[in-house]
Amino acid sequence: MEAAVEGRGQLMDYNEAELMAILLSREVRDNEISACGALSHIPAAGLLLAKELHARNAELIILNSVFNPFKTSRQFHFLAQRGELGLFFVSGVQIDRLGNYNLHQLGPDIDKPQARFPGGYGGGMIYYCARRTVVFRTEHTRRSLVEKVDYISAAGSSPPDMIRLGGPSKVVTPKVNFRFDKDASVLRLDTIHAPWTLDDIQANTGFDVGNGPAVVTPAPTPDELNTLRQVVRRKMIATGTYAAWAEKTLATS
Amino acid sequence: MGVPYVPIFGLVGTDLLKKRDDMVIAADPFDSSKKSVVAKALRPDVAIFHAQVADRQGNVSCGYEVEAVMLAEASAHVIVTAERIVDRLTEKEATGAFIPSIHVDSVAHAPFGAHPAGLQGMYAPDKIHMRDYVIASRDDAAFAEYLQTHVHGVTDHADYVERFVPLEWKRPSKAVGN
Repeated sequence: MEAAVEGRGQLMDYNEAELMAILLSREVRDNEISACGALSHIPAAGLLLAKELHARNAELIILNSVFNPFKTSRQFHFLAQRGELGLFFVSGVQIDRLGNYNLHQLGPDIDKPQARFPGGYGGGMIYYCARRTVVFRTEHTRRSLVEKVDYISAAGSSPPDMIRLGGPSKVVTPKVNFRFDKDASVLRLDTIHAPWTLDDIQANTGFDVGNGPAVVTPAPTPDELNTLRQVVRRKMIATGTYAAWAEKTLATS
Repeated sequence: MGVPYVPIFGLVGTDLLKKRDDMVIAADPFDSSKKSVVAKALRPDVAIFHAQVADRQGNVSCGYEVEAVMLAEASAHVIVTAERIVDRLTEKEATGAFIPSIHVDSVAHAPFGAHPAGLQGMYAPDKIHMRDYVIASRDDAAFAEYLQTHVHGVTDHADYVERFVPLEWKRPSKAVGN
Protein backbone atom coordinates (compact mmCIF):
# COMPACT_ATOMS: atom_id res chain seq x y z
CA MET A 1 0.00 0.00 0.00
CA GLU A 2 2.94 2.30 0.55
CA ALA A 3 4.25 1.68 -2.93
CA ALA A 4 3.17 4.03 -5.65
CA VAL A 5 0.37 2.74 -7.83
CA GLU A 6 1.88 1.08 -10.85
CA GLY A 7 0.15 -0.16 -13.96
CA ARG A 8 0.35 -0.08 -17.70
CA GLY A 9 3.76 1.53 -17.58
CA GLN A 10 2.50 4.60 -15.77
CA LEU A 11 3.79 5.66 -12.41
CA MET A 12 1.55 7.98 -10.45
CA ASP A 13 2.86 9.98 -7.55
CA TYR A 14 0.37 8.89 -4.91
CA ASN A 15 -0.32 5.61 -3.20
CA GLU A 16 -3.61 3.71 -3.02
CA ALA A 17 -4.38 4.85 0.54
CA GLU A 18 -3.88 8.49 -0.43
CA LEU A 19 -6.08 8.04 -3.49
CA MET A 20 -8.84 6.45 -1.44
CA ALA A 21 -8.65 9.07 1.31
CA ILE A 22 -9.08 11.76 -1.34
CA LEU A 23 -11.98 9.94 -3.02
CA LEU A 24 -13.71 9.49 0.33
CA SER A 25 -13.16 13.15 1.22
CA ARG A 26 -15.11 14.14 -1.91
CA GLU A 27 -18.18 12.36 -0.50
CA VAL A 28 -18.26 14.59 2.60
CA ARG A 29 -20.70 17.50 2.40
CA ASP A 30 -20.41 20.79 4.19
CA ASN A 31 -22.80 21.46 7.12
CA GLU A 32 -23.45 17.76 7.64
CA ILE A 33 -22.42 15.31 10.33
CA SER A 34 -20.11 12.66 8.89
CA ALA A 35 -18.64 9.71 10.74
CA CYS A 36 -16.44 6.67 10.50
CA GLY A 37 -16.11 3.69 12.83
CA ALA A 38 -13.20 1.94 14.49
CA LEU A 39 -10.21 0.78 12.44
CA SER A 40 -10.96 3.37 9.77
CA HIS A 41 -7.62 4.96 8.96
CA ILE A 42 -8.46 5.97 5.40
CA PRO A 43 -11.92 7.46 6.13
CA ALA A 44 -10.46 9.32 9.10
CA ALA A 45 -7.93 10.93 6.77
CA GLY A 46 -10.71 11.59 4.24
CA LEU A 47 -12.93 13.27 6.81
CA LEU A 48 -10.11 15.51 8.05
CA LEU A 49 -9.17 16.36 4.47
CA ALA A 50 -12.73 17.38 3.56
CA LYS A 51 -12.83 19.63 6.60
CA GLU A 52 -9.68 21.42 5.36
CA LEU A 53 -10.98 21.80 1.82
CA HIS A 54 -14.68 21.98 0.93
CA ALA A 55 -16.49 21.09 4.17
CA ARG A 56 -15.21 23.56 6.72
CA ASN A 57 -18.48 23.51 8.67
CA ALA A 58 -18.84 19.75 8.66
CA GLU A 59 -19.05 17.99 12.01
CA LEU A 60 -16.77 14.98 12.14
CA ILE A 61 -17.11 11.89 14.27
CA ILE A 62 -14.07 9.61 14.20
CA LEU A 63 -14.73 6.86 16.74
CA ASN A 64 -11.88 6.04 19.11
CA SER A 65 -10.20 9.39 18.56
CA VAL A 66 -10.29 12.92 19.93
CA PHE A 67 -12.71 13.70 17.10
CA ASN A 68 -15.55 11.98 18.92
CA PRO A 69 -17.93 14.06 21.01
CA PHE A 70 -19.51 11.04 22.67
CA LYS A 71 -18.74 9.10 25.83
CA THR A 72 -20.84 6.07 24.98
CA SER A 73 -21.67 4.31 21.73
CA ARG A 74 -25.38 4.68 22.31
CA GLN A 75 -25.11 8.46 22.05
CA PHE A 76 -23.74 7.93 18.56
CA HIS A 77 -26.32 5.28 17.69
CA PHE A 78 -29.22 7.44 18.83
CA LEU A 79 -27.93 10.37 16.76
CA ALA A 80 -28.01 8.07 13.72
CA GLN A 81 -31.50 6.82 14.62
CA ARG A 82 -32.75 10.41 14.80
CA GLY A 83 -31.62 10.85 11.20
CA GLU A 84 -28.92 13.38 12.06
CA LEU A 85 -26.03 11.41 10.58
CA GLY A 86 -25.46 12.59 7.01
CA LEU A 87 -22.67 10.25 6.00
CA PHE A 88 -21.12 7.09 7.39
CA PHE A 89 -18.04 5.26 6.13
CA VAL A 90 -17.98 1.51 6.62
CA SER A 91 -15.97 -1.39 5.24
CA GLY A 92 -16.87 -5.02 4.72
CA VAL A 93 -14.93 -8.23 4.29
CA GLN A 94 -17.24 -8.97 1.35
CA ILE A 95 -19.46 -6.56 -0.57
CA ASP A 96 -21.95 -7.76 -3.16
CA ARG A 97 -23.76 -6.46 -6.22
CA LEU A 98 -26.88 -5.68 -4.20
CA GLY A 99 -24.95 -3.45 -1.80
CA ASN A 100 -25.05 -5.99 1.03
CA TYR A 101 -21.90 -6.19 3.13
CA ASN A 102 -20.50 -8.94 5.33
CA LEU A 103 -18.58 -8.30 8.53
CA HIS A 104 -19.52 -11.56 10.23
CA GLN A 105 -18.16 -14.76 8.71
CA LEU A 106 -16.99 -16.60 5.58
CA GLY A 107 -18.06 -19.93 4.11
CA PRO A 108 -21.07 -21.35 2.27
CA ASP A 109 -22.65 -22.94 5.38
CA ILE A 110 -23.90 -20.28 7.76
CA ASP A 111 -23.77 -22.71 10.70
CA LYS A 112 -20.18 -23.80 10.00
CA PRO A 113 -18.19 -20.64 9.27
CA GLN A 114 -14.66 -21.07 7.91
CA ALA A 115 -13.61 -17.76 9.41
CA ARG A 116 -15.33 -15.45 11.85
CA PHE A 117 -14.90 -11.71 12.29
CA PRO A 118 -15.83 -9.38 15.13
CA GLY A 119 -19.24 -8.71 13.56
CA GLY A 120 -21.19 -5.75 12.40
CA TYR A 121 -21.23 -3.69 15.59
CA GLY A 122 -23.95 -1.07 15.00
CA GLY A 123 -23.74 -1.42 11.22
CA GLY A 124 -26.97 -3.41 11.06
CA MET A 125 -28.70 -0.22 12.20
CA ILE A 126 -26.45 2.59 10.91
CA TYR A 127 -26.61 1.34 7.31
CA TYR A 128 -30.36 1.98 7.50
CA CYS A 129 -30.22 5.27 9.40
CA ALA A 130 -27.29 7.30 8.08
CA ARG A 131 -28.58 9.32 5.13
CA ARG A 132 -25.71 8.06 2.98
CA THR A 133 -23.21 5.31 3.61
CA VAL A 134 -20.06 5.00 1.55
CA VAL A 135 -18.64 1.49 1.70
CA PHE A 136 -14.89 1.35 1.19
CA ARG A 137 -12.68 -1.66 0.53
CA THR A 138 -8.89 -1.51 0.20
CA GLU A 139 -8.83 -4.79 -1.71
CA HIS A 140 -10.53 -4.92 -5.11
CA THR A 141 -10.61 -8.63 -5.94
CA ARG A 142 -13.09 -11.36 -6.79
CA ARG A 143 -13.02 -12.53 -3.19
CA SER A 144 -13.93 -9.14 -1.70
CA LEU A 145 -16.42 -7.96 -4.38
CA VAL A 146 -18.76 -10.88 -4.83
CA GLU A 147 -22.06 -11.73 -6.49
CA LYS A 148 -23.56 -12.62 -3.11
CA VAL A 149 -22.01 -12.21 0.33
CA ASP A 150 -21.73 -15.35 2.52
CA TYR A 151 -23.50 -13.54 5.35
CA ILE A 152 -25.57 -10.36 5.20
CA SER A 153 -24.49 -8.11 8.08
CA ALA A 154 -26.37 -5.15 6.60
CA ALA A 155 -28.61 -5.11 3.56
CA GLY A 156 -28.22 -2.64 0.68
CA SER A 157 -31.97 -2.22 0.29
CA SER A 158 -35.20 -3.02 2.11
CA PRO A 159 -38.83 -3.43 1.05
CA PRO A 160 -40.44 -0.01 0.48
CA ASP A 161 -42.71 -0.27 3.52
CA MET A 162 -39.79 -0.67 5.93
CA ILE A 163 -38.80 2.40 7.89
CA ARG A 164 -35.42 3.28 6.45
CA LEU A 165 -33.78 6.70 6.60
CA GLY A 166 -30.92 6.07 4.19
CA GLY A 167 -28.66 3.51 2.60
CA PRO A 168 -25.57 2.93 0.51
CA SER A 169 -24.59 5.70 -1.88
CA LYS A 170 -21.21 4.52 -3.15
CA VAL A 171 -18.61 1.79 -2.90
CA VAL A 172 -15.02 3.03 -3.21
CA THR A 173 -12.09 0.71 -3.96
CA PRO A 174 -8.50 1.35 -5.13
CA LYS A 175 -9.72 0.74 -8.69
CA VAL A 176 -13.21 2.20 -9.04
CA ASN A 177 -16.18 4.01 -7.58
CA PHE A 178 -19.46 2.17 -7.77
CA ARG A 179 -22.67 4.09 -7.21
CA PHE A 180 -25.76 2.48 -5.74
CA ASP A 181 -28.74 2.59 -8.09
CA LYS A 182 -31.64 2.96 -5.66
CA ASP A 183 -34.33 2.14 -8.21
CA ALA A 184 -32.76 -1.16 -9.24
CA SER A 185 -31.10 -1.75 -5.84
CA VAL A 186 -27.78 -2.69 -7.44
CA LEU A 187 -24.27 -1.29 -7.67
CA ARG A 188 -23.35 0.31 -10.97
CA LEU A 189 -19.90 1.22 -12.16
CA ASP A 190 -19.51 4.95 -11.61
CA THR A 191 -15.94 5.90 -12.48
CA ILE A 192 -12.67 4.03 -13.00
CA HIS A 193 -9.45 5.28 -11.43
CA ALA A 194 -6.48 5.68 -13.80
CA PRO A 195 -4.76 3.61 -15.05
CA TRP A 196 -7.30 0.79 -14.84
CA THR A 197 -9.54 -0.26 -17.73
CA LEU A 198 -13.01 -1.79 -17.84
CA ASP A 199 -11.38 -5.17 -18.63
CA ASP A 200 -9.16 -4.88 -15.54
CA ILE A 201 -12.19 -4.12 -13.41
CA GLN A 202 -14.30 -6.99 -14.75
CA ALA A 203 -11.38 -9.40 -14.31
CA ASN A 204 -11.09 -8.43 -10.63
CA THR A 205 -14.77 -8.17 -9.74
CA GLY A 206 -16.96 -11.10 -8.72
CA PHE A 207 -20.10 -9.67 -10.34
CA ASP A 208 -20.99 -8.26 -13.74
CA VAL A 209 -19.93 -4.61 -13.80
CA GLY A 210 -21.73 -3.99 -17.11
CA ASN A 211 -20.18 -2.51 -20.22
CA GLY A 212 -21.25 1.08 -19.83
CA PRO A 213 -19.00 3.96 -20.79
CA ALA A 214 -15.87 3.92 -18.66
CA VAL A 215 -15.68 7.38 -17.15
CA VAL A 216 -12.30 8.17 -15.62
CA THR A 217 -12.26 9.26 -11.98
CA PRO A 218 -10.96 12.82 -11.67
CA ALA A 219 -7.35 12.43 -10.47
CA PRO A 220 -6.28 13.81 -7.09
CA THR A 221 -5.51 17.49 -7.46
CA PRO A 222 -2.25 18.99 -6.20
CA ASP A 223 -4.31 20.85 -3.59
CA GLU A 224 -5.92 17.63 -2.33
CA LEU A 225 -2.61 15.75 -2.25
CA ASN A 226 -0.64 18.55 -0.61
CA THR A 227 -3.28 19.21 2.05
CA LEU A 228 -3.51 15.48 2.80
CA ARG A 229 0.25 15.10 3.07
CA GLN A 230 0.91 18.28 5.00
CA VAL A 231 -2.06 19.46 7.05
CA VAL A 232 -3.97 16.21 7.56
CA ARG A 233 -0.87 14.13 8.19
CA ARG A 234 0.33 16.64 10.80
CA LYS A 235 -3.09 16.78 12.42
CA MET A 236 -3.38 13.00 12.64
CA ILE A 237 0.06 12.70 14.21
CA ALA A 238 -0.53 15.59 16.65
CA THR A 239 -3.91 14.25 17.81
CA GLY A 240 -2.94 10.58 17.96
CA THR A 241 -5.49 9.73 15.27
CA TYR A 242 -3.96 6.68 13.60
CA ALA A 243 -0.70 8.60 14.05
CA ALA A 244 1.70 5.79 13.15
CA TRP A 245 -0.31 4.97 10.03
CA ALA A 246 -0.45 8.62 8.96
CA GLU A 247 3.27 9.09 9.48
CA LYS A 248 4.10 6.03 7.41
CA THR A 249 1.43 6.12 4.72
CA LEU A 250 0.74 9.75 3.91
CA ALA A 251 3.90 10.58 2.06
CA THR A 252 5.56 13.93 2.61
CA SER A 253 6.27 15.49 -0.73
CA MET B 1 -37.92 0.60 30.83
CA GLY B 2 -40.05 -2.40 31.73
CA VAL B 3 -41.95 -2.40 28.44
CA PRO B 4 -42.55 -5.75 26.70
CA TYR B 5 -40.93 -4.81 23.36
CA VAL B 6 -39.35 -1.92 21.49
CA PRO B 7 -39.17 -1.00 17.80
CA ILE B 8 -35.63 -0.99 16.43
CA PHE B 9 -34.20 0.31 13.18
CA GLY B 10 -32.31 -1.74 10.65
CA LEU B 11 -31.60 -5.47 10.57
CA VAL B 12 -34.22 -6.09 7.85
CA GLY B 13 -32.79 -8.43 5.23
CA THR B 14 -29.82 -9.52 7.33
CA ASP B 15 -28.81 -13.05 8.28
CA LEU B 16 -28.61 -11.87 11.87
CA LEU B 17 -32.38 -11.30 11.96
CA LYS B 18 -33.02 -14.84 10.63
CA LYS B 19 -31.33 -16.27 13.72
CA ARG B 20 -33.30 -14.24 16.24
CA ASP B 21 -36.72 -15.49 17.29
CA ASP B 22 -36.94 -12.58 19.75
CA MET B 23 -37.04 -10.06 16.88
CA VAL B 24 -39.85 -9.86 14.34
CA ILE B 25 -41.05 -7.41 11.70
CA ALA B 26 -44.20 -5.59 12.78
CA ALA B 27 -46.41 -2.75 11.53
CA ASP B 28 -46.08 0.72 13.02
CA PRO B 29 -49.21 0.97 15.23
CA PHE B 30 -49.56 4.65 14.32
CA ASP B 31 -49.06 4.20 10.57
CA SER B 32 -49.87 0.73 9.28
CA SER B 33 -48.19 1.44 5.95
CA LYS B 34 -44.81 1.39 7.72
CA LYS B 35 -42.96 -1.50 9.31
CA SER B 36 -39.88 -2.05 11.43
CA VAL B 37 -38.22 -4.75 13.45
CA VAL B 38 -39.60 -5.14 16.96
CA ALA B 39 -37.41 -6.68 19.65
CA LYS B 40 -38.78 -8.53 22.64
CA ALA B 41 -37.55 -7.19 25.97
CA LEU B 42 -34.63 -8.99 27.55
CA ARG B 43 -35.31 -9.95 31.18
CA PRO B 44 -32.15 -11.69 32.41
CA ASP B 45 -32.35 -13.81 35.57
CA VAL B 46 -28.93 -12.65 36.68
CA ALA B 47 -26.58 -9.88 35.54
CA ILE B 48 -22.93 -9.89 36.54
CA PHE B 49 -20.63 -6.99 35.68
CA HIS B 50 -17.63 -5.04 36.86
CA ALA B 51 -17.86 -1.40 37.95
CA GLN B 52 -15.47 1.39 38.86
CA VAL B 53 -16.72 1.98 42.40
CA ALA B 54 -19.42 0.70 44.76
CA ASP B 55 -20.32 1.55 48.34
CA ARG B 56 -21.24 -0.51 51.38
CA GLN B 57 -24.96 0.07 50.81
CA GLY B 58 -24.67 -1.50 47.35
CA ASN B 59 -24.84 1.70 45.32
CA VAL B 60 -22.75 1.39 42.16
CA SER B 61 -21.09 3.92 39.87
CA CYS B 62 -19.90 2.70 36.49
CA GLY B 63 -18.47 5.75 34.79
CA TYR B 64 -20.20 6.34 31.47
CA GLU B 65 -21.43 2.75 31.06
CA VAL B 66 -25.11 3.58 30.92
CA GLU B 67 -25.76 0.17 29.33
CA ALA B 68 -24.87 -1.35 32.71
CA VAL B 69 -27.64 0.68 34.33
CA MET B 70 -30.22 -0.73 31.90
CA LEU B 71 -28.80 -4.21 32.46
CA ALA B 72 -29.18 -3.87 36.22
CA GLU B 73 -32.72 -2.50 35.89
CA ALA B 74 -33.78 -5.32 33.57
CA SER B 75 -32.33 -8.23 35.56
CA ALA B 76 -33.98 -10.08 38.43
CA HIS B 77 -30.67 -10.40 40.26
CA VAL B 78 -27.54 -8.26 40.02
CA ILE B 79 -24.04 -9.19 41.14
CA VAL B 80 -21.40 -6.48 40.87
CA THR B 81 -17.66 -6.66 41.23
CA ALA B 82 -16.01 -3.31 41.85
CA GLU B 83 -12.56 -1.90 41.45
CA ARG B 84 -12.98 0.07 44.64
CA ILE B 85 -15.38 -0.11 47.61
CA VAL B 86 -16.09 3.04 49.60
CA ASP B 87 -18.25 3.71 52.65
CA ARG B 88 -20.61 5.96 50.77
CA LEU B 89 -20.57 7.19 47.16
CA THR B 90 -20.12 10.94 46.98
CA GLU B 91 -22.70 13.12 45.23
CA LYS B 92 -20.26 13.47 42.34
CA GLU B 93 -19.78 9.71 42.05
CA ALA B 94 -23.53 9.14 42.18
CA THR B 95 -24.07 10.81 38.79
CA GLY B 96 -23.75 9.52 35.26
CA ALA B 97 -24.11 5.77 35.16
CA PHE B 98 -25.36 5.37 38.71
CA ILE B 99 -27.12 2.22 39.90
CA PRO B 100 -29.01 2.60 43.19
CA SER B 101 -28.62 -0.25 45.65
CA ILE B 102 -32.28 -1.29 45.29
CA HIS B 103 -31.29 -3.12 42.07
CA VAL B 104 -28.17 -4.74 43.48
CA ASP B 105 -28.06 -8.10 45.26
CA SER B 106 -24.37 -8.29 46.09
CA VAL B 107 -21.09 -6.47 45.61
CA ALA B 108 -17.62 -7.98 45.72
CA HIS B 109 -14.31 -6.14 45.82
CA ALA B 110 -12.21 -7.20 42.83
CA PRO B 111 -9.32 -4.92 41.89
CA PHE B 112 -8.42 -5.34 38.19
CA GLY B 113 -11.64 -7.30 37.91
CA ALA B 114 -12.12 -6.31 34.28
CA HIS B 115 -8.78 -7.82 33.23
CA PRO B 116 -7.96 -8.70 30.45
CA ALA B 117 -10.58 -6.23 29.22
CA GLY B 118 -10.22 -2.57 30.18
CA LEU B 119 -12.17 -0.37 32.54
CA GLN B 120 -13.05 3.13 31.38
CA GLY B 121 -10.99 5.76 33.15
CA MET B 122 -8.95 3.15 35.01
CA TYR B 123 -7.00 0.93 32.65
CA ALA B 124 -6.87 -0.05 28.97
CA PRO B 125 -7.32 -3.63 27.75
CA ASP B 126 -4.31 -5.95 28.15
CA LYS B 127 -3.54 -6.33 24.47
CA ILE B 128 -0.96 -9.08 24.89
CA HIS B 129 -3.33 -11.18 26.98
CA MET B 130 -6.17 -10.51 24.54
CA ARG B 131 -4.01 -11.65 21.63
CA ASP B 132 -3.15 -14.88 23.48
CA TYR B 133 -6.83 -15.40 24.29
CA VAL B 134 -7.81 -15.01 20.64
CA ILE B 135 -5.12 -17.48 19.56
CA ALA B 136 -6.26 -19.95 22.25
CA SER B 137 -9.90 -19.63 21.20
CA ARG B 138 -9.16 -21.02 17.74
CA ASP B 139 -9.39 -24.65 18.81
CA ASP B 140 -11.01 -26.57 21.65
CA ALA B 141 -7.81 -28.08 23.08
CA ALA B 142 -6.00 -24.74 23.23
CA PHE B 143 -9.04 -23.10 24.76
CA ALA B 144 -9.39 -25.82 27.39
CA GLU B 145 -5.76 -25.20 28.27
CA TYR B 146 -6.43 -21.46 28.52
CA LEU B 147 -9.34 -22.10 30.88
CA GLN B 148 -7.28 -24.54 32.95
CA THR B 149 -4.50 -21.97 33.36
CA HIS B 150 -6.55 -18.82 33.89
CA VAL B 151 -9.82 -19.99 35.42
CA HIS B 152 -9.82 -23.51 36.88
CA GLY B 153 -6.18 -23.44 37.91
CA VAL B 154 -6.51 -20.24 39.95
CA THR B 155 -7.20 -20.41 43.68
CA ASP B 156 -8.89 -17.00 43.96
CA HIS B 157 -9.00 -13.52 42.45
CA ALA B 158 -5.90 -12.40 44.34
CA ASP B 159 -4.02 -15.35 42.86
CA TYR B 160 -5.25 -14.38 39.36
CA VAL B 161 -4.14 -10.76 39.83
CA GLU B 162 -0.78 -11.88 41.19
CA ARG B 163 -0.13 -14.17 38.25
CA PHE B 164 -1.81 -12.58 35.23
CA VAL B 165 -2.28 -8.83 35.67
CA PRO B 166 0.80 -7.02 34.27
CA LEU B 167 3.16 -5.88 37.00
CA GLU B 168 3.17 -2.26 35.85
CA TRP B 169 -0.62 -2.05 36.33
CA LYS B 170 -0.17 -2.69 40.03
CA ARG B 171 2.21 0.19 40.64
CA PRO B 172 0.27 3.02 42.29
CA SER B 173 1.02 5.57 39.55
CA LYS B 174 -0.36 3.28 36.87
CA ALA B 175 -3.30 1.90 38.77
CA VAL B 176 -5.37 5.02 38.29
CA GLY B 177 -5.70 6.64 34.90
CA ASN B 178 -4.24 5.11 31.78
